[in-house]
Amino acid sequence: MTETPTRVPTSIAAVRERIAGQSSSNRALLLMAPLLAFELLVFVIPFFILLRISFAESSANFVYAEGTVSLEAYASVLTNELLWSIVGYSFLIGVVVTVLSVLIGLFYAYAIWRSTGLVKSLLLFSVVLPLLTTLVIRTYAFRPLLSPTGTLNEILLSLGLLSEPISFYPGTIAVVIGQLYIVLPYAVLAIYSVLATMDWHVVEAARDLGASRPRSILEVVVPQVMPGIIVATVISFAWSVGAYAAPGVLSSSLTFAIQVEDMMYGMRYPEAGAFSVLMLLLMLASIAIIFTVLNRFGGEFDLA
Amino acid sequence: MSEITLSELEKQYGDTTAVEDVSVDIRDGELLCLLGPSGSGKSTTLRMIAGLEEPTSGEITINGEDVTDQSAYERNTSTVFQDWALFPHKSVLENVAFGLKMRDVPKEQRRERAEAMLERVQMGGYGDEDPTNLSGGQKQRVALARSLAVNPDVLLLDEPLSNLDKRLREDMQIELREIHEDVEETFVHVTHDQDEAFTLADRIGIMNEGELIQVGEPTEVYENPANRFIEGFLGDTNFVESEAVRVTDDAVHVETELGYELVLPSDGDPDVTEGAELTLSLRPEVLSIEQDAAADSMEGHEQPVLADGSTLNAVVGTVENVLYRGSTVRYSVSVNGTSMFAERTGANTDALTAGEEVRIEWEGDDVLAFRPDGSQVTL
Amino acid sequence: MSSTLHRETLETAAFRAGYLSLLAIMLLPLLVVVVTSFSGTGRLAFPPESFSIAWYGEFLDSVRWLDAFTNSIIVGVGTALLATVLGVTGAFGQELEDDDGLLGTLLAPLVLVPLLIPPVILGITLLMYFNEFGLRGSYASIVLAHTLWATPLVYFVMRSVFSRFDWQQLDAAQDLGAGPVQSFVHVVFPNVKHGIFVGGLLAFIISLQEFVMALFLSTPGTQTIPVIAWTEIRQALDPVVSVVSTILVVISVVAIVAAVIATNLEWLSRQLS
Repeated sequence: MTETPTRVPTSIAAVRERIAGQSSSNRALLLMAPLLAFELLVFVIPFFILLRISFAESSANFVYAEGTVSLEAYASVLTNELLWSIVGYSFLIGVVVTVLSVLIGLFYAYAIWRSTGLVKSLLLFSVVLPLLTTLVIRTYAFRPLLSPTGTLNEILLSLGLLSEPISFYPGTIAVVIGQLYIVLPYAVLAIYSVLATMDWHVVEAARDLGASRPRSILEVVVPQVMPGIIVATVISFAWSVGAYAAPGVLSSSLTFAIQVEDMMYGMRYPEAGAFSVLMLLLMLASIAIIFTVLNRFGGEFDLA
Repeated sequence: MSEITLSELEKQYGDTTAVEDVSVDIRDGELLCLLGPSGSGKSTTLRMIAGLEEPTSGEITINGEDVTDQSAYERNTSTVFQDWALFPHKSVLENVAFGLKMRDVPKEQRRERAEAMLERVQMGGYGDEDPTNLSGGQKQRVALARSLAVNPDVLLLDEPLSNLDKRLREDMQIELREIHEDVEETFVHVTHDQDEAFTLADRIGIMNEGELIQVGEPTEVYENPANRFIEGFLGDTNFVESEAVRVTDDAVHVETELGYELVLPSDGDPDVTEGAELTLSLRPEVLSIEQDAAADSMEGHEQPVLADGSTLNAVVGTVENVLYRGSTVRYSVSVNGTSMFAERTGANTDALTAGEEVRIEWEGDDVLAFRPDGSQVTL
Repeated sequence: MSSTLHRETLETAAFRAGYLSLLAIMLLPLLVVVVTSFSGTGRLAFPPESFSIAWYGEFLDSVRWLDAFTNSIIVGVGTALLATVLGVTGAFGQELEDDDGLLGTLLAPLVLVPLLIPPVILGITLLMYFNEFGLRGSYASIVLAHTLWATPLVYFVMRSVFSRFDWQQLDAAQDLGAGPVQSFVHVVFPNVKHGIFVGGLLAFIISLQEFVMALFLSTPGTQTIPVIAWTEIRQALDPVVSVVSTILVVISVVAIVAAVIATNLEWLSRQLS
């Protein structure tokens, strides 16, 4: 006890010293803490709860039976053939939209890269402006354009290219077009942001060494923008497989998103959870495959 | 090996003319340097030879064949770019083999040839490296190997040494010269660096404001520049404004802004009339600078005539400052209020200090004179 | 030989025609939205048979739409504030961390991943989660959900802004006796305030547009504009939806233009003079 008066000041000094010594990394941690806490509370933990609920039994009176553990929900999802055809259709939409979005995105990003002045601003503006419009509305604008009595049909009919109107909407074609319009701006921006850092001289060097225009793009441009292409592919794919607005507005087909919403409103939480978890796993597997395949074509992918 | 002819080549971007009426015959196997300040049109000219830029008018032939309408990938030309433009996602070997791949050379042959080229530029063993990990000098060598691998009719070099530090640049100049002699191909090299042009070139073409002003061997261009611009561009010199006051068959007497009347000897019948304004060029290497033993010996500004009949010109002034530049010392001298400079080699540096009276002398034959329009006067 | 050049000219023409028609297609749906908002009839057709501004009046008379408008602004501002604070502090902290620690390396992917998960799955997950805590339907639940999407954007904008910042300035400030807070306020902030502003604006716009998560999480009292638009579209289609979208587009464009002017006024004045 007699030591106390002397010990307190020294320990304070020691603490001070420790703070001074580690201040930089401590401060870094302190600054990152809110973001980490947020991601933990609003993203990581909710997913564990989703996972937990997906293993619960269904209940007649509540959204799920608390405290139960069962594979009932998974069994019912896995054995439901309708659900599998819905998943298949969702993936079909995802693949078609992704392929179109990456090809058109690459072309459009290249056009932006090569253009100058007003044209460049206009092209960039056309990519950014749709992002400012809520996707519900972007999608619904296709209705008057694509419906059997809509603008496109009227034009095609008056040009004599069609003898009777085609019903693009409602239908898969309209969904693909609508969803493509939703993801294309992101694909263009992802590819353009990589392309913008590229040196045009490298393309000239390839041409100079005997590569024709298409070949120089395939040999030099594509491998270098691969990180952008990967981001564009992953975003297009993830959002299109899980598409909600485009199928909802432009077709009467059932997709994963519409079906899972139905389960939610039907108060079948474990089933909705299990369906979501399975879908996420399938998507993650697909993304991993896309990633591996594209990465082999060149370009190291850096997340940050 | 090939001859290239440019005739009346012109390139316009909107209203601005980048290259104007350039005509030159590039000889088989020579190393021609296009020398000029930035914006003089030298790179644009090179890019038109490569096919990377389409001429507004004019014609380009390679070995007599008109290639003006061929695009870059069809011409057998090959460019080394200023920033080297190596393909960052391909290995060094793939970079060098790229041109051969485009020419559908079988894989095995490609690899052999690419390795041999890397060997040639002293980069053997670097084939598997990632080009982004190489130093500037190494990138430069790889770019050179890549361009040489396709056996081009002409190798075009667009300031490839300008991103290297001084020491490395000088080493690479000598090596480039050796490679040129070794591969016996036609090289066209663009640079803004006079020393580089003089080190490398068989012939130098000097460009300014889009025009090709003079083409000639280095000594020819240096000793007999076509105009005042070239004289000023090729090295430091003293330009002295003057007026011809007396013209005889064998000499032109000029009154200068230095306050001295100077005598320019002539081979006979000089193309100057009395009263003409002339700009004289006094290069530092022809000037000698000495402590002035008898400051009043120049009274009346009479210029002495030597025993062999040549004229010796001399002026007297005060040293304003002394600048040590390693191997040489540069003296800035005020002559009747006008500044000029002279140099001495390092061995002889002790004598002169600021404030000292000095005498600057030169032989009249060593002076070049230019008319107000820039053209050189034949004396 | 001129045939190859001829072919390249054709290629160039086709290339130009290609991107110009894409440009038209990109802008067409927006044109449809704006034009149909001035429709004279209740039927949604493009181009409309007649024009009027009646539907704008309809919008201003509708309590439901105006409430949704207020809700959108509340959620948007909340999201912008929260996402900006989280994104800026997170990116700043990561920049201060000298050696890349475990947490620092984990942070970037963790922040990014929510962007890659379909909003429907996020919506369901958060709905179940907020149900557990009785937060469902509150503004807070929607703000938190939107922040999950907006934070990655603020965070990556700030990472790139901070990476361009000359950190020796911070050392210099601390060397001259400024504490951590003082040096941030006086040295770091003035250099990065444009980035913070842009990040916050992006967050606001993301929130204004997002509807899937909002649809799952909102109750009739907290429905945002896109949610109302969605339910409206599924029932009857009348041009009020176009009116609302036009107003949203105008707000976003004005915000962007304001941002460009605010951050680049100096540049702008140089261009004009």
